[in-house]
Amino acid sequence: MNSAAAEKLRASVAQGKWDQAVAMFQRLDPAAAADLLMHLPFEQQQILFRKITAEFAAALVASLPYYHAYVLLHSRPAEEMSAVVDKMNPGERLQFFDELPEEAWQRLMDELAQKPLPAAPPAEGAAVEELVEAGRAALAVESIIEARGIEKSFERPDGGQMLVIAPTDLSVVPGEIIALLGPSGSGKSTLLRILSGLAQPSAGEVLWHGKPLSDSLPNVAIVFQSFALFPWLTVLENVEVPLLARGVEHEERHTRALRTLAAVGLEGFETAYPKDLSGGMKQRVGFARALAVEPEILFMDEPFSALDVLTAENLRSELLELWTGKKMPTRSIFLVTHNIEEAVLLGDRIIVLGRNPARIRADFRVPLAQPRERHSAEFLLYVDYIYKLITQPELQPGPPSERPAKAAYQMLPHARPGGIAGLLELLYDHDGREDLYRVAEELRMEVDDLLPIVEATVLLGFAKSDKGDLEITPSGKVFAEADITTRRTLFRDAALANVTLLEQMHGALTSKSDHAMPLDFFRDILDEHFAGPEVQRQIETALNWGRYGDLFTYDPGSDRVLLEQPASSVEAPGLH
Amino acid sequence: MAPLAEPKSLAWSSSSSLSSLLRDLPIVFAALALFFTLLSLAHYWASPVSTQAAIRLDPDALPKYAVFSLARITIAYFFSLMLTLVYAYVAAHNARAERFLIPLLDTLQSIPVLSFLPPVMVAMVSLFPTRQLGVELGSILLIMTGQVWNMTFSVYSSMKSIPREMTEAAETYRLSWWQRFIQLELPYSAIGLVWNSMMSVAGGWFFLMACEMFVLGNHDLRLPGLGSYLQTATNAGDTRAILWGLTVMIAVIVLIDQLVWRPMIAWSEKFKFEQVEASQTPQSPVLDLLRRSRILARTARATVAPAREALTLYFAREHAARHSGPRGRLWGKWIARVLSVAALLGVLYAIGKMTGMLAALSRPELRTIFVGAGATFLRVEFTLLLAGLWTIPAGVYIGLRPKLAAIAQPIAQIAASVPATALFPIVLLFLIRAGGGLGIGSIVLLLLGTQWYVLFNVIAGATSIPTDLKEVCDVFGLSRFERWRRLLLPGIFPYLITGFVTASGGAWNASIVAEYFSFKNQTFSITGLGAVISHATDTGNFRMLLGSTVVMAVIVVTVNRLLWRPLYALANTRFKLES
Repeated sequence: MNSAAAEKLRASVAQGKWDQAVAMFQRLDPAAAADLLMHLPFEQQQILFRKITAEFAAALVASLPYYHAYVLLHSRPAEEMSAVVDKMNPGERLQFFDELPEEAWQRLMDELAQKPLPAAPPAEGAAVEELVEAGRAALAVESIIEARGIEKSFERPDGGQMLVIAPTDLSVVPGEIIALLGPSGSGKSTLLRILSGLAQPSAGEVLWHGKPLSDSLPNVAIVFQSFALFPWLTVLENVEVPLLARGVEHEERHTRALRTLAAVGLEGFETAYPKDLSGGMKQRVGFARALAVEPEILFMDEPFSALDVLTAENLRSELLELWTGKKMPTRSIFLVTHNIEEAVLLGDRIIVLGRNPARIRADFRVPLAQPRERHSAEFLLYVDYIYKLITQPELQPGPPSERPAKAAYQMLPHARPGGIAGLLELLYDHDGREDLYRVAEELRMEVDDLLPIVEATVLLGFAKSDKGDLEITPSGKVFAEADITTRRTLFRDAALANVTLLEQMHGALTSKSDHAMPLDFFRDILDEHFAGPEVQRQIETALNWGRYGDLFTYDPGSDRVLLEQPASSVEAPGLH
Repeated sequence: MAPLAEPKSLAWSSSSSLSSLLRDLPIVFAALALFFTLLSLAHYWASPVSTQAAIRLDPDALPKYAVFSLARITIAYFFSLMLTLVYAYVAAHNARAERFLIPLLDTLQSIPVLSFLPPVMVAMVSLFPTRQLGVELGSILLIMTGQVWNMTFSVYSSMKSIPREMTEAAETYRLSWWQRFIQLELPYSAIGLVWNSMMSVAGGWFFLMACEMFVLGNHDLRLPGLGSYLQTATNAGDTRAILWGLTVMIAVIVLIDQLVWRPMIAWSEKFKFEQVEASQTPQSPVLDLLRRSRILARTARATVAPAREALTLYFAREHAARHSGPRGRLWGKWIARVLSVAALLGVLYAIGKMTGMLAALSRPELRTIFVGAGATFLRVEFTLLLAGLWTIPAGVYIGLRPKLAAIAQPIAQIAASVPATALFPIVLLFLIRAGGGLGIGSIVLLLLGTQWYVLFNVIAGATSIPTDLKEVCDVFGLSRFERWRRLLLPGIFPYLITGFVTASGGAWNASIVAEYFSFKNQTFSITGLGAVISHATDTGNFRMLLGSTVVMAVIVVTVNRLLWRPLYALANTRFKLES
């Protein structure tokens, strides 16, 4: 992209010279224009998108991510919307429609078919002015936290370094809720701890208002997944803890704590102990303790995941109410979650992390107004997009060239054979193809639980994952139709053909004369490829799969794997 | 609003002031009694040395002796508490110090009380040569060496196991070291500390006789107290006096249990780290009395609360100032370096001296030590076997019957708190009359001292076996043998190991009193490492004392590392009953 042009465009947008900006913008190549557009504040994107010609808009729609194109498209009046769609190249239009999740596609079809009479909103001019103002404000802010090239690595047992967070740039600006999303074990929590100053990065630096974080006293607070309340202190005393630490005198401390407790709906619970409260109430105390210090940034580490669904929903909406109603002095919220819907529900900006090592795979804004409707087409659009992003390793922003021919050891997803079979049966019943977010909805599973099963099914060649859809393969179909014994044979064949580790374990056992190997042998090999706890999980999964596929058995007493013997001679594992 | 509230609260306070005064009366009397006791103790300690104090065997001398012994144990306990908090705090917070402090603790724990006697006494008497205080301090420090180690271990491991998110909360919210200690680390360690304090003080009673009356070279030191009373009565063979002494000692122990430990346990319940309210919590009427007392509440509000507030605010401001100012004071680092070099040199010097002394041990002396070590090893293991043989069936029987367990547990607890050493004269009298000797006697004494740990743990283990597993055994009609093999033994295994670990350490330590005993002015002893240590102390043979102590420490640490730790790990992985 021509950076000089980008700077010029940005400048004219910031000054509100829209005609000049539009002229400049339309001279750009559509792909470059789309890229540039994504880097502007959303309000300015909307204005630009509304002002450009239908032809150029059509070209842009084809170049933008579909979820973003869809939302921008809706910033134009309905009849213009269909004009833009009409002007699209037929092939690109087909692809755009194809990528949309069903609800969004359906709604777009309805809107295009209706073509309501052009009743231009009278206040449109004013609205544009408002948006310009907002856009200007958004551009002027400076970031509170800025991380530059931070990375984190741990020492491996053999002395080497294991990178858990790849070099990452990230900044937190005022006025936004950032939702950091990623599969479990992707380093989300580590990233949160580095940004909040609890942990030090191995390289790079974190700036707090432009100064190194380690030299400043960042005014931050953290809400923890496990609440981390002191059980021997009353609710009031718990909220007073951080105030006391800041040297606030008794009287004022008391008043401030009471005020915060009232704000989170805990009036009357001051003298209760945490153990007397329900999970949701405990987390309210956690919020009150965090808000009592009036933090500039409120960090939240999976704050709702220890709560039941209804309580979590309730707390989320109350948090939003406090936030949108500006009833809390906090300037930004940084939320770590593994729940996709939660991220889309709360986040103004969503950052998706990949793993091994953690890196930012996507960082985008969610320009939907609060409160958001879970079943609206726009909402599902984002959910669907994130599913696609997470389930498809190759769908990465950046050059699509890199994909190692075949990794020495794939990371085995921690799924049980039973889960894999269950997923295949569900797919089979749904005629072999389904949207992933629908599967998750039907199974009432969170992405964290579902994803390993999907990955395992794909790894074994029983299904293909394609843009957020999951499709059963012929071998998967055979598996779904088979009885239990045949399934184990099919599983065995699939595992030997697709899983390097299992193939090697089996090979080693077959070639050894006593058909036995100490498990430590394989642990040592894996040590060079995975970080400490992951090695154990890899081994557990491999044992689980190997036992199911009758590849080998495991003797916990001697910590050895043995080649599967004829059933009669296998000793039942007893207590002694 | 205010005028309305005022008369109401006045009326309330006047109507209940009489009853609240009545309620506070016991506390007022207790405070006065405590004051008087302290006054007389101070008078005694300031008096000139009289190490040869004649111990009167009249029963009416007993209350005074009981107070003296109690004061010693109490002071030793508070010293232990201070040392515990400092030692455990440093070990838990400084990784470099931890690497050195924890193995040191492991070793110190395995050194028997008597081995500390000569160095402690010599140091204290030379510190206060003309006052009773010196000998007293020596005795107190001796009691302390039997109390402090397990408390330290408990606090250290509690501090290390604080959940990560709790410490992160403390850090994010910028708690000063003091606030973190008071509001997080100390409360988190409280339950373990209370239970271990109870065990420690029981240990203090166990070794009281050895700590109040001993021979050091040609000095025969005796301090007025219950321990020396019992010892003197034993030497004189005065059964009546022994019984009197025993009765008073048991009475004091039961009283302390009711007045101090029960309330402490009930109170420490508040520090339980659990998210849900337990259905059954320990109760204590004494604690209720204290909680309801208005005098105490008012005193606390006027003294403790403001002091705590001021301290916490002071450290909070200091914490903030240090954080914003320049960090890392250079001279502090240098002082630490100089100190550690000095400590290292000191250790090297001590090791050199020690090696010299050990090298001077003659061959027969070495033989005595190693033969003794072998004998004591066999004796200890045999004792553990005996303890296991009767406690496992009895414990399981009790544990499987909740109603019986509710009755048996408090009785067993009192039985366990009676120091076996005090019973020893009676046991020995009986055995000698029955024709046995110290050979059986020492094992009986070891058994009396250690079996309780095993019994308590077996009961706890049997209680925790889930009902559904027992029902499975019924459904499949398992025979009695199969039931033990498949369910009961694996079920209690982790608890059994915990019991044996504690019992094993205790038995080694107790061997010094069990294998060597003065009775009717006659010394009974049998082959054993404990006897070697006791004899070396009595005759002032420092070389033998050092040699035998090192051997015992090495054996105890080795057995712990090679036998109990792997078993413990096994118990925690394979035999853990997960819900």
